[in-house]
Order: sequence, then C-alpha cells, then structure tokens
Amino acid sequence: MNIKKIKLIRTFQEGLDNFRRNGWLSFATVSVLAISLYIISFTVILGITANMVLKNIQDKINVSVYFNSDVEESYILEMKDKIVGYPEIKSVDYVSKDQALDNFRKLGDNNQSINQALEELGENPLLASLVIKANLPEQYEIISKSIGGSVFAENISRIDFEDNKKAISRLTSIINMVEKTGLVLGIIFVFIGILITFNAIRLTMYAHKQEFEIMRLVGASNLYIRMPFIFEGIFYGVASAIIVFAALLITAKFMAPLTEGSINGGDIFSFCFSNSFIILPALLLFGILLGTVSGFIAIRRYLKI
Amino acid sequence: MIRFENVSKIYPGDFVALESINLDIQQGDFVSIIGPSGSGKSTLLKLVYVEEQPTTGTVFFNDRPLDSIKTKHLPYFRRNIGTVFQDFKLLPQKTAYENVAYALEVSDGSVEEIKEIVPEILDLVGMSDKMEKYPRQLSGGEQQKVCLARALVRKPLVIIADEPTGNLDPNSTLEIMQLLLKINSMGTTVLLASHNKNIIDKINRRVVELNNGRVVRDNIKSKYNV
Repeated sequence: MNIKKIKLIRTFQEGLDNFRRNGWLSFATVSVLAISLYIISFTVILGITANMVLKNIQDKINVSVYFNSDVEESYILEMKDKIVGYPEIKSVDYVSKDQALDNFRKLGDNNQSINQALEELGENPLLASLVIKANLPEQYEIISKSIGGSVFAENISRIDFEDNKKAISRLTSIINMVEKTGLVLGIIFVFIGILITFNAIRLTMYAHKQEFEIMRLVGASNLYIRMPFIFEGIFYGVASAIIVFAALLITAKFMAPLTEGSINGGDIFSFCFSNSFIILPALLLFGILLGTVSGFIAIRRYLKI
Repeated sequence: MIRFENVSKIYPGDFVALESINLDIQQGDFVSIIGPSGSGKSTLLKLVYVEEQPTTGTVFFNDRPLDSIKTKHLPYFRRNIGTVFQDFKLLPQKTAYENVAYALEVSDGSVEEIKEIVPEILDLVGMSDKMEKYPRQLSGGEQQKVCLARALVRKPLVIIADEPTGNLDPNSTLEIMQLLLKINSMGTTVLLASHNKNIIDKINRRVVELNNGRVVRDNIKSKYNV
C-alpha cells in the first residue's frame, strides 16, 4: 500500500475515533448543525411549495367573456382563434350554452329548486362564453379592456373581470409579497444557520487546542493535522443530514392535512417524499459542506500558518 | 551543529528575552542551560526548534540558517529534533504506545516499522509493561519516560529538554537524567534547560549560564554555581 493511502486511512481512523470518543461534544455539534440545516431546508421547501400553491390558485383565475345569446358558435370560435395568439393570453376555452347548463347543474348538484326553476324557464338561460387565462395576473386588466373596446364588443354581453378585479389585484400583491418575504427570510436563516454551525465547530476546535500544539511540535504537517477534522466534519454533515431528512418528513406528514390537494394534486408530504432523491442528496451536500468548511476555517488559527 | 550568531529576541512591548547570544554546540554535546526564571532558557530552546524566530542574528542547524526554512517545511525539519517538556504534552486520548507511534505515523512510518521500533524504544526507557496505559493512568515520571521515548523514536540528531524534571519527584528526576545521559552516550546531542542545582552538579557536564537574556558563563565541565 502506498504512503498516501496509509495516511488517508490513518487520518480517517483518527477522525472516526474523535467523532465517537467525544460523545457529548459530537452530539451537541451534530444537533446544532441539524437545527441549522432543518431551518434552512424547511424555509426552502416552504418557499417552493408556497410558490406552487400560489401558482395553482393563480391558474384558477380567469376572465369570462359572455356573448349575447343570438351570437353564432362559429363567430365565437373565430374570435377564439384570433385572440389565442395574443402574447398576454395563455389559453382560451370555449364554453357552449349547453356545456354551461351542464356545469351549472353539476354545481347545483341536483338541487331541487334549481332543477325546478330550469324546468319552468323551458329554455337555456345561460350564455356561451370564452374563458380566458392570462400569463400574469397583472395582464387581465389589459386583456379585458382591449376585448371590451375591440371589434367584437357589440356581441359581448358582459366581461366577468370587473367583478373579480379586486380579488385578482389583491392576490397579485399577496403573491409578490410572499415571494419577497420568503426570499429575505430564507437568506437570513441561511446566514444564521452558517454562523451557528461555524461557532459550534470553533468550539470543538478550541477543545482540541492543546492537541494541536502537541501535534505541531511532534512534526505533523498541517494537512496531517487537518485531515482527521475534515473527516469529522463529514461525519457531522452526514449525521445531521439524515436526522434533518427524517425530521422534514415528519413535519411534512403533520402539515399534510393543511395542504391537501393544493400541490399538484397532492399534499406537502407526498411532495417531499416523491422528491426525496433531490432533497436527501442536497441535505447531505450542504451538511457536509457546512461541516467541513467550518472546520477548515476554524482550525486555521491553531496551525500558525 | 547548532550555532547561535549574535542572536537577540525581543518580544512586542520591548521585552528583551535574549541579547547577543553567541553559542556553538557540537554533535554529541551534553549542554545544560541554567539560570533563574525568566533568564531566557526556554526562549533559547524555542529558537532551535523554531517555535520562535530571532529578532536579530541567525541560528544555524548543521550550517543551515533556520530562518530560511519555509513555514510549510517546518514539520519536516522538526523531525530531526526530539522535544521533552515540563508539562509532558502527551496526547490524552492515546495510550503510551499510541503516543510514541504517533511520532512515527506523522513522518510516514510504515506499519511494520512502527510495530518493530515502538516497543523497542519503550523498553529502552523502561515502560514496556505500561504500553497500553493512558497518560492519566501514569505517574509524572512514567509520563516523562513516554515523552522521552516519543522524542527518541525517530532517532533524532538532538534532544531538546525544557525543564524535563520540573514536575517530578527526586527519584523520577534521577531516572530521567540517567536516560538522557545514556542517550547522549549513544551519540545524540542533548540540550537541557534546568534550574535543578543538584542534578546539574551531579552530572558535571558543559554548563551555559544565562542571566537577563545574556550568556554569563560557558564552561565545558562545570557545576551549577562556580
């Protein structure tokens, strides 16, 4: 076995021994690292899922353009083809009179009085419509105005935007605020997490202060002194990542009922679970990075470089 | 072998630890550096194993100026020197055997080398039967013997001992001194700092006396007080 390999094994063994031997200190450091990691990842996942929930809600916003009852279906479809190309418009769906009646009945869910009322009327009182979805909530105003003032205007009975205007603009500002807040909070938490971990590991290094001096005097190179602690940092990172992963899943499970159906048809738990193959490696990477870089920096003052 | 040429060491705050030191030590010498506390004994030794650098002047090791050694090469230089201290400086989480082995591991010793040399050295200092004990399980004298073994394990050119018997009882003190003399008789240079009058008188070797950072006496065969 060549000398590099021997060195690696020796320092690995040292690192492992340090990790196991230090009992309480290791436990404390891993806990601190785990808490920081948990806060950071929780914020990130919350941010991502909140974003998804909001986009879902956004998707449900639309503007309905109702046509006068004497307008021909072909005319409406012609208009649909025309406006579907507008840059602001994401999609246009045609809802015929019959379909509108169907939807209404489904909504009513076999409500006695509704069915009776319909019977009495005899004919379908509902109007055909185009359901328009925009790319961004801010664009509904433009779309509504331009359709209202367009050549199709005389055939339009009403545009269902004015009623929703307040809700849409409020939703837009909520979405923007949540995104901004999430980003700021996220950055703050990442910063705090890193600081806390760094200090915890500095403490560990301080506990080894005497040993560093001895190792230097006996003629150990800087790398030889460092390596066991880099390995130790890796162990801390792995241990915390596993703990945090379990903690995240448990938290998600608890939060699942609150978020049912809001995230792509599932809840926050199924989201986390199905994305485990991204979340776990990310945790491992970040945990190990945090553990080893902190150790690397913290040890410098004892190496008298 | 070790040469001080007009060496001075001044610490921040204008504290003069050493002043105009000129000293010449040959291979195989046994030199005792004596003087009251604060006279600069430890500082002198620190300059040899480069824990400190002189403010002016140069320290030479085998004609090589020590200030020319790059910081990253220091560990390799230090492997020529065995150090023993008053406070032992053993790694607390390792057994006596492991402490001595560590010195070899650090200089890339092979597994076979370690298995062969470490028990030998521990036997030399009389600690064969306590190899598996931890420092906290050993007496002061025993710990110092382990330190000596560690200092010897790489067959260094010089042993530097900074008040090695400072924390020891008279019996252990004698044992350690006898070991040092034995090591010296096998060719290793020994640089000893001490303010133990009795011991210095007994061994009747070269004495360098420091006072206020200056060499006031350098006698080939001498006692603590003339």
